Amino acid sequence: MLLYTTNIRSSKGTRIIIFLFLKFIAFNFNNRKSLNRYLTSKDGWLNFSIGLKTEDNSLQYGISFFEGKVAVTKTIAHDAKAVMIFKNDEAARKLLLGTPTDVIYMLLKSDVRIEGSISYANIFSFFISLLFHDVQKRAMKTERKKDDKTVKRQQPEHNKQLSDEIVKRRKERLKAEGADPHVVYLDDAYLSKYSMDDFPRLQRFLHDHLTKKPAVCAERAYLLTKWYRENGFEKDSSGNNWDPIVRNALAYKYMMENRKPLINDESLLAGTTTSKPIGCPIYPDGSGIMIWNELMTISYRTYNPFDIDEQTREVLHFDVFPFWLHRNFREWVRDKYNNPLSQQLDERYALYFNWKQATISHTIPNFPKVLAMGTLGMIQEMHEELNSGCGEEKQNCLTAMILCLEGVNAYAQNLSKQAMGDSNREQNPQRKQELLTIADICSRIPMHGAQTLHEAVMAVWIIWIALHMESMNAGLSLGRLDQWLQPYFVNDMKNIPPEKRDEYMKFALELIGDFYMRCTDHFPLTPDLANFYFGGSSSDQAITLGGVTPEGTDAVCDMTYIFLKVTEMLSVRDPNVNARYMPGVNSDTYLKRLCEVNLITAATPSMHNDAAIIKALTPMGYPINDIRDWSATGCVEPTLSHKHFGHTNMQMMNMVAALEMTLNNGYHPLTRLDVGPKTGRPEDGVFTTFDTFFDAFTQQFAFLIDQSIDYNNKLAEAHQLIRPTPLLSAFIEGCLEKGKDVTMGGAKYNSSGTAIIGLADVTDSMMAIKKLVYDEKRYAFADIKKAVDSNFAHDAVLLSLVHKKIPLFGSGSDEAVAMANRITTWAHDHYSKMPHYRGGAYATGFWSMSNHVAFGTLTGALPSGRLAGKPFTPGLTPQPFASKNLLDNIRDVARLNPENCNNNIAFNVKVVPSAIESRQKTVNDMFSYVKTYFELGGMQMQMNVVTSAVLRDAMAHPENYRNLIVRISGYNAYFVTLNRQMQLELIERAEYGI
Amino acid sequence: MNKALILDIKGNSLDDGPGIRTVVFFKGCPLNCVWCHNPESKRATPELSWDGRECIGCYSCKNVCALNAIIPGSTHFINRAVCNLCFACVDVCPSGAMSKVGKLMAVEDIIQTIIKDKPFFDTSGGGVTLSGGEPTVYMQFASELLKALKKIKIHTLIETGGYFNGDEFEANIVPYCDMVYYDIKLIEDFKHKKYCGVSNAKILQNFKKLVELSQKNAIQVMPRIPLVPGITATKHNIEGIAHFLRECGVNRVQLLRYNPLWPEKCFKIGSNGNIDKALTQWMSQKDYEFYAKILVKNTIQL
Repeated sequence: MLLYTTNIRSSKGTRIIIFLFLKFIAFNFNNRKSLNRYLTSKDGWLNFSIGLKTEDNSLQYGISFFEGKVAVTKTIAHDAKAVMIFKNDEAARKLLLGTPTDVIYMLLKSDVRIEGSISYANIFSFFISLLFHDVQKRAMKTERKKDDKTVKRQQPEHNKQLSDEIVKRRKERLKAEGADPHVVYLDDAYLSKYSMDDFPRLQRFLHDHLTKKPAVCAERAYLLTKWYRENGFEKDSSGNNWDPIVRNALAYKYMMENRKPLINDESLLAGTTTSKPIGCPIYPDGSGIMIWNELMTISYRTYNPFDIDEQTREVLHFDVFPFWLHRNFREWVRDKYNNPLSQQLDERYALYFNWKQATISHTIPNFPKVLAMGTLGMIQEMHEELNSGCGEEKQNCLTAMILCLEGVNAYAQNLSKQAMGDSNREQNPQRKQELLTIADICSRIPMHGAQTLHEAVMAVWIIWIALHMESMNAGLSLGRLDQWLQPYFVNDMKNIPPEKRDEYMKFALELIGDFYMRCTDHFPLTPDLANFYFGGSSSDQAITLGGVTPEGTDAVCDMTYIFLKVTEMLSVRDPNVNARYMPGVNSDTYLKRLCEVNLITAATPSMHNDAAIIKALTPMGYPINDIRDWSATGCVEPTLSHKHFGHTNMQMMNMVAALEMTLNNGYHPLTRLDVGPKTGRPEDGVFTTFDTFFDAFTQQFAFLIDQSIDYNNKLAEAHQLIRPTPLLSAFIEGCLEKGKDVTMGGAKYNSSGTAIIGLADVTDSMMAIKKLVYDEKRYAFADIKKAVDSNFAHDAVLLSLVHKKIPLFGSGSDEAVAMANRITTWAHDHYSKMPHYRGGAYATGFWSMSNHVAFGTLTGALPSGRLAGKPFTPGLTPQPFASKNLLDNIRDVARLNPENCNNNIAFNVKVVPSAIESRQKTVNDMFSYVKTYFELGGMQMQMNVVTSAVLRDAMAHPENYRNLIVRISGYNAYFVTLNRQMQLELIERAEYGI
Repeated sequence: MNKALILDIKGNSLDDGPGIRTVVFFKGCPLNCVWCHNPESKRATPELSWDGRECIGCYSCKNVCALNAIIPGSTHFINRAVCNLCFACVDVCPSGAMSKVGKLMAVEDIIQTIIKDKPFFDTSGGGVTLSGGEPTVYMQFASELLKALKKIKIHTLIETGGYFNGDEFEANIVPYCDMVYYDIKLIEDFKHKKYCGVSNAKILQNFKKLVELSQKNAIQVMPRIPLVPGITATKHNIEGIAHFLRECGVNRVQLLRYNPLWPEKCFKIGSNGNIDKALTQWMSQKDYEFYAKILVKNTIQL
């Protein structure tokens, strides 16, 4: 409890509490120097006012911070930066007295909403936190204890048999049967003779990864801010307007020259993403300042706590965050466009979430290019282009690219020097030699092309760090590393005598394993709210294996299996491993191995059908060779490797909100937003046919889509001015020739992709309405509406009917599949008709990350029989009770038209391996499902190979399951780091025995 | 006969033969085993089932029953002495708690249901299994069904208790069936009469004939022993079966673990049944291995 418990329930009582609370804050900040100092910043006093009121205005107060003095007023200033509006008295009391999790749910559920700038509301929250953080920490601890007790009551004793079974899986390993044409050096492609026992170094990396707490790292933000303060952001020191791209490049170069060149003391790869062993880099131009309110408490929160030291806190509050307060994407749009409706809708959480408020990322850099010619080769190309004559925009763009690459080179040189110094100090002779090798490699890489596998991986890693230093670690993806590293592996092998090959194999496995673990050295700086939206997700650095070459031949090679072996051994959530399979070209041997790795790791890799992806992308007009070279991006979405700026996770779109608005004449119940088109009240019988109702739904959906794209475009403009990305542009084909940054449309191919959530729920709801109201005429629409509004409290018969007697998506019903296709067709056609700001097109996907849980929490009951607050299904997976027969699910999903899913889908299958069947039989059964699904045209499948019993045990006794990964909807997460709701959703997924 | 009484068509079975299979369960059986784990398959007539777990207590069924045969709160919910199986209650039940057990289907109906699963058969080396009940109760129909399946190149398997006319089986089933899973429950005839209701003489004789046919590659035969605590799961019985198999020249068998979850199925179709406590327990792994060892000792492979 935050203040004190009180039994005062009257409106007057609430007013008194709020008033006293505000006065208490004012008093403390006015009279205590230790607090008062926080009212200032490097840019002067933080001057702003906040309003607090209830919807009916029965309560109204303001609190102003001006020139270091805090005052409480009985009215709200007309220029208040943010007004916190409570639904009612109770909500106001709850906000002050509730736990941090309560507060988040209040925001999500619109018990409190913010009009104005959430960034300023966060500063106010930070001030409160300065005063009350001890109480908040205790509240968090108590909340955790209570929740732990509840969960342990359901499962008091840890069931060791269950956790042992998971561990035992990796002890048994199949040998490959059959061969792939381009696997040259592996006798047993499955590499079954190796295990983690052979790699003590990797064991230690894995242990650190699972036990070390990430820490907030301000280094990047500090250095950039320093440069901008000295050299100007909008205008340079002569008072002229900066060209954003040159400005950013100069700042970037400075930062790369001055950041600490660190080498993990056991790694074969030099360089770190942050200055911490596991660090959260800060992007204050994006979502970085969203943690302002958590500076005191982020270390104690329940989900994804991050350590933060005092110095970092000071730098952020006094220096970095004030500088970027109006220079981040969100606030920039708010200031320029006066808090437009499309932004307000996004900030109510329940309708859509536009990712550009944080970042774009979501693309594949041109690793093959830098591996072949080095950064010096790339700079040379740019100089040649500049010399051939070009206009100002192109000049600035190329200059910026060159500056950035020079920054990268400086960093590599610093690493080389650091390695040399470390090696001089090193006592252990083996490590000493390793450091000398690193020093040698970094003196040449990535400036020159790579010759060996070690050099190639080093180049990839340094470029990877460099790209993250420019733009947020969210969805930037590694691409077809098996293809791009294979030549270096082969080159090495050619120069090694046969008797040394086994030793080299171990080295190669260890090197790739080391690379995976380097990728885990950073974590996105998620505000607490994100733990509910994107629960458990890390950066989603997708690696793509297998499939076909641009020419259409079998791409599976030695490195494909090496990556799969590392994936199997480490079983880490990120890099997010995706495997492509081309029916008729890739072998059964390969597909069976994918199934075995899914079995051993319980959740990875995700599997994609190349034929369906090609079918989906061809109508967009891309050349077939480029389509064949696609890579999974972020979660599952395809982009054409290193040529395509596809912002494939432009937004998470809650399609169910459109359905709710159709049922309520344009009004969204939870958010109380009455903004949709007035399509009519269904209970009045205005929809005389089903088609008129469906048409109304498309009108509501069109409204949400159009609003979300409006906000997307405004945010895109903010990106162009605040954070163009010249380094990334150097690694995307097209930018050099066009002389344009990726944010301006420089890439050869441009698009943006949406993730549409709730397909199964909307389809099933439509089927229920169509059958009961229109086909069978058993119920009037008013009856359905009444049932939905009352959460089926008095309609047990109707609830039972919709669950048991309506043909659902995934039950094998042709009608339900046709309905789903009708919805995806409409959505795809609407999005793809819209003009795209970079000259490309919008693509539609049907996957959900963990938003199906978050959005589900914010949605009432549906005609499908889903009760209020329950999660939607993940991705487009059918309801667990749609069919007892997995084959019905598989067939129905496979019958979805791939052209409507050009931003991919996520189809989750939870299978349970039999305790008594052999490994070979289990893998064969899994293989049969996946192969048939692909042959039927299915696009993507991802698995969880685990029982609900295991998940329940893990929920109550997490210490025994630290390494257990699950597939959410597109990405992997450690089950024990998920919030309870997400855990329960996974437990409740239908499981099928094999 | 152009229609047969079908209990269920269950897809995605991994336990009823090789690969992924669709199982057609026939309703009706000449045996009456006390442990039958599909008790609703015994009678060759449609029945009414009530599942208490699914019932939402709306009484739509009671309101529509012309004979007042539905008595909520009574043991079996339905007074089966009065019920005339009009199934009006099934039509109005919103939850499916009331369901009709057994549906008449023609061969074409069954083929149409099965054919969607064919892609899975092709990938996994699976196919269709006839089971039940006892499929040979519908000998002609089964024959036509199997013929139709072979026509579209589907692997066929029949699960049988062996109590049929051997000549008819050879003429009608063997030509269209790839594999037989043949139950051998109790080797002693008096015990077989006691616990299964009929003599095992015909069953053992038919088995011998099938083994001969398998040696001529006319069909594959796999004997199966269902382990039932205290009844078939005795040292004496297992040894006896092992000897019998050796005499036939058969050196492999499937030993089926006991599934104690069937008593509630009896309840749903209104059987009273005093069920022995031993039959309500899972068999331990140790016990399973004990009987497995006996077979292995007699050079019978599992």
